[in-house]
Amino acid sequence: MPIIVNLDVMMAKRKMSLNELSDKVGLTLANLSILKTGKAKAIRFSTLETICKVLHCQPADILEYVAEEES
Amino acid sequence: MATKKDYLLIVLHILSWIIFVGLCVEAGGFLFNTLYTLFYNPAGAANFWMKSDLSALYSFNQSHFVTLTAIMVIAAVLKAIMFYVIVKLFHDKKLDLTAPFNEAFGRGLYNLSYLTAGIGLFTYWGTKLSANLIEQGISLPSLQELRLAGADVWLFMCVTLLVFGRIFKKGITIQNENQLTI
Repeated sequence: MPIIVNLDVMMAKRKMSLNELSDKVGLTLANLSILKTGKAKAIRFSTLETICKVLHCQPADILEYVAEEES
Repeated sequence: MATKKDYLLIVLHILSWIIFVGLCVEAGGFLFNTLYTLFYNPAGAANFWMKSDLSALYSFNQSHFVTLTAIMVIAAVLKAIMFYVIVKLFHDKKLDLTAPFNEAFGRGLYNLSYLTAGIGLFTYWGTKLSANLIEQGISLPSLQELRLAGADVWLFMCVTLLVFGRIFKKGITIQNENQLTI
């Protein structure tokens, strides 16, 4: 998929573990893992909002578009 | 409500088992009587299955007798396989009401539609053959007694199941996407 999820990059920048993010965002580890590994088909605005709030970042810091050939 | 639904599923499961066993017995009976008549005792045609009398057909032409009984056997076996698929769906717990749109159930639905198509085509062939034989003056039992009635209903059921299968496939996609929406 041409949409890349850079959640692990932002987590590394904020020095936040998956467990900590899971607690703060209120998502299960399984769902966060699906999001982090790029297996998710869609993300709710409410989830994106909470993640941005917790990681102090913009949606563009988490989601990135890379054309199919480049990826 | 959940208990009522579970109870209904158990009743349907038991009914499917009973029908499956009955259809297996019927298919076995048709096959046994055909072989018995052909290789052991031609008088078996007079008391074929559930008192059906096929002696007139047997004495008229043995190949027609074999063709008609083969169609009956094939239709009965396909019906038995159809209920085997239904029993298997119940037995393997594929009918999960919390997430009903799963691949295994969708595949089962398609298999059922293909089987009904097969039953429909063979019973239609049997209907045409028996009508042709009756036209030639041979006395034959009714289509109900030969278990070849309702070809049009089977074909209608096939189309209905195919439509349901198509809708179900879309349901599987939507459910999978929904499960992967974070």
